[in-house]
Amino acid sequence: MANPPQSTVSDPASELAALLPFELLEELIALARAHGAEFAEVYGEHTVHTGFSLEENRLKRCERSILRGVGVRAVSGEQTGYAYADGFEPEDLREAARVAARIARAGAADGRPKSFKVVDAPAPFQLSEPAPAALDESRKIALLQRANDAARSHDPRVHEVSAALSDSTKQFVVANSDGLWAADRQYLARLTVVALALADGERQQGFAAGGGAVEASYFERDRSPETIAREAAETAVLLLAAREPEAGAYPVVVASGWGGVMVHECFGHSMEGDTIRKRTSIRATQRGQQVAARGVTIVDSGVVPFSRGSFRVDDEGTPAQRTVLVEDGLLVGYLWDLLNARLTGERPTGNGRRSSYRDYPLCRMTNTYIEAGPQAPEDLIASVKRGLYCKNLGGGSVNPADGNFSFQVTEAHQIENGKLTYPVRNATLTGNGNDAMLKIDAVASDLEIDGTTGSCGKDGQWKPVGVGQPTVRFTAITVGGTRT
Amino acid sequence: MSPFSAGVQPVAEAALEAVAAEAVERARAAGAEEAEAIVESTRSFTARALNRQVETLKQSVTHGLGLRVIVNGAVGFVSTNDFRSAALEDLTRRVVILARFATPDPANGLPAPEREDPPGDLRLFDPAVLELPPDRKIDMALTLERVALGYDPRIRRTEGAAVSSHDGAVALVNSHGLARTWSGTAVSAHVVALADDREGKQQTGYYGVSRRWLGELPPLEELAREAARRAVQRIGARPVPAARVPVVMHPDIGAAWLSDLHGAFSGAGVVKQASWLTDKLGQTIAAPSVTLVDDGRMPGGIATEPYDGEGIPTRRNVLIDRGRCAMFEFDAYYGRRMGTGSTGSAQRSYASVPGVGHNNLYLEPGTETPEAILARVDRGFYMDDQGSFGFNSVTGDYSYQAQGHWIERGEKAFPVEGVTVASNSLEMLRQVVAVGNDLRFEHAVACPTLLIAEMTVSGGVEG
Repeated sequence: MANPPQSTVSDPASELAALLPFELLEELIALARAHGAEFAEVYGEHTVHTGFSLEENRLKRCERSILRGVGVRAVSGEQTGYAYADGFEPEDLREAARVAARIARAGAADGRPKSFKVVDAPAPFQLSEPAPAALDESRKIALLQRANDAARSHDPRVHEVSAALSDSTKQFVVANSDGLWAADRQYLARLTVVALALADGERQQGFAAGGGAVEASYFERDRSPETIAREAAETAVLLLAAREPEAGAYPVVVASGWGGVMVHECFGHSMEGDTIRKRTSIRATQRGQQVAARGVTIVDSGVVPFSRGSFRVDDEGTPAQRTVLVEDGLLVGYLWDLLNARLTGERPTGNGRRSSYRDYPLCRMTNTYIEAGPQAPEDLIASVKRGLYCKNLGGGSVNPADGNFSFQVTEAHQIENGKLTYPVRNATLTGNGNDAMLKIDAVASDLEIDGTTGSCGKDGQWKPVGVGQPTVRFTAITVGGTRT
Repeated sequence: MSPFSAGVQPVAEAALEAVAAEAVERARAAGAEEAEAIVESTRSFTARALNRQVETLKQSVTHGLGLRVIVNGAVGFVSTNDFRSAALEDLTRRVVILARFATPDPANGLPAPEREDPPGDLRLFDPAVLELPPDRKIDMALTLERVALGYDPRIRRTEGAAVSSHDGAVALVNSHGLARTWSGTAVSAHVVALADDREGKQQTGYYGVSRRWLGELPPLEELAREAARRAVQRIGARPVPAARVPVVMHPDIGAAWLSDLHGAFSGAGVVKQASWLTDKLGQTIAAPSVTLVDDGRMPGGIATEPYDGEGIPTRRNVLIDRGRCAMFEFDAYYGRRMGTGSTGSAQRSYASVPGVGHNNLYLEPGTETPEAILARVDRGFYMDDQGSFGFNSVTGDYSYQAQGHWIERGEKAFPVEGVTVASNSLEMLRQVVAVGNDLRFEHAVACPTLLIAEMTVSGGVEG
């Protein structure tokens, strides 16, 4: 068997490194510091996306796109100047560096780094046959056809199916005025299925996905197209007979895996270093304090195997790591990118991420999850008299400054006297992130991290993330609905 | 060499058209029966202020090409920002191969140029936006933040204020002889004020606008004070018990609902029966006061464009006409599927194939002032902020996290948070009992103040 590129490379002979030789990087960094910026950074990227989609039994989309260019950042105190160029023309890059340099107005700085030191962090996991590279067009399309067939044959009420496979191969080089030089190659693939079910004038939709930073064999061994398709079809059909939720505040049990989107939104965003430094987060003054119920431990880890949220080095060249945010309910650590770590005297935690060379890095989560607890998952439901079991969540959002959050629950079940009684649709959970983690009263042992499908948006930049948790119970959450 | 450069000169449309025409030629030579190229070039500059100083300055200069081909009746698509000849040659070869994997479909096909009246002056381009110096944008951002901070002693910080300018041009060429180019500008300003509430808690107030013309931006002081006012008036907000009550929607909330609603008018959803309006064409779906318009040709509109993403002239589409579901919207593909033809509704960037979308989407205003609408409500909820997720696109079910004010005897009694507001869009459309006279175009979607007869408000306290 051929041996395609490893999941991560630090090979200065790669194409990108050839386009951005050390001498050019040094020159660009010096230009970016010409007006006194104390820090400068060059980020070069070449990304290839491919996408295929099968809708209405037709292969409608066969796409490929290329995005490549270089961004230059200059930092002076709390101030950032950023400019980029599409492509790698040295004169365009020099112009970008000159523009970025204008943030600083303090005169000249000693520009060039003395020498570059290559970041040689170990890869958190190896891919021998990454799906984007190892699957050719025919094999990708065959996965979609299998998904389409499986969803349609699951139930006669499945009226329409959309299956899509998208993947990306991103290579980047980053170098900065501290002499850091790092390179990486990151592969992502994702298979999504949307099933539409119709019956008796009702119309409902189900969604399921698989993927991550995965091997080609993932779609046979871990989550096959048939598994993903059946989940989507099952949800759509189940929701046809579902009832509206009761409006009010009552106990809520959230399923393991993707349910971790709650800890991502309700808690994780308020732990990002930018909001801590600027004191726009309520967490800024809570180090050492109790911010979650005892027994709750919350982690952000960039090294979870095969997850979308994982990598060898972040987009600033800092190695990925596991960071404990909350230990047994107490706040013990924050997430830091280079800029915010430097301004606060903290150590970077590998959370500097950007959507492409067209944006400057922000402090972002990677894979954020609640660690496993002691209880059996079924016991969490068995002890609830009247409540809601949220089996699957859709999107969620939070305003980190005021803490208001909300989640769409795509599939829920009513709990009555410890038993699941009927399916519930269109529930929305809401509350305030300031106290949400304090309302957890039970954590089960079935930790699952979903690294297949999540994308997080911040200041207009989207990044792939993983989220996770075991089954978790909240004493009371406000559930939106039309029944009172 | 790239034909693009930064500066105060407008992007040369002719240079973009030449790149697009050459890409179409290459694709035809590589075996495409039909080919379409879109080339975009955009520039933007953003100044952000925080803590009374510049936080970030960002300059973007972007170009890209999208190439769609039809081979044996099947579609392939590629996009790139690498304009080197060898790279384009490689991509052209690949797009023809990609198309051979796709399913042939008689509804595929690129539009031929239509004879039409010239669009006239749509007021898309303001030279003053191009000429606005970076230092002036910095001053504007600093002013926005300073005014917000000075509004009330309880506003001690902001999440930042930003001012940005954009200009760009697009060229669209296809192998049927269609060739369109146009240019536009935009300027945006926003600020997020933070007000101290009890126990370390904060309240946020956002306000922002986008305009094509610099002179049409509202005074910065007014914008900043409004953001600050929104933050301060939320201090002390609390939940309320669950209840079914009338809901007054602030224009921002109405506009967010219109954005959600628009998906149901998309021909793609109607053809697949995935839209909750699938069987409703020609029927009364809303109160007679409801007229929903998608206007691509409103002069000076932030979402105005002379042509859609396939080069078809845009127009004014009335989607709901005095309560009646009057039409759905289509791109060329779904228009052919439906037998109605395109409605000039294809939206895209260079990096995507066209899909059905909207230009300036708005609800026609009524005659009542927002104050008069509020005065009609004896007990209810005034909703002025919401979460990001809460709409079911196949059923029209609506259930959003909400903030606002409790209404008693026609007046705002106290601020509310920690609640959700739920109903179904068909019921809501029928229950529109008042439409305000306060329509303002601040973004691509605009709505006057609305009064919905009854929705379920769910709170964090037992009723």
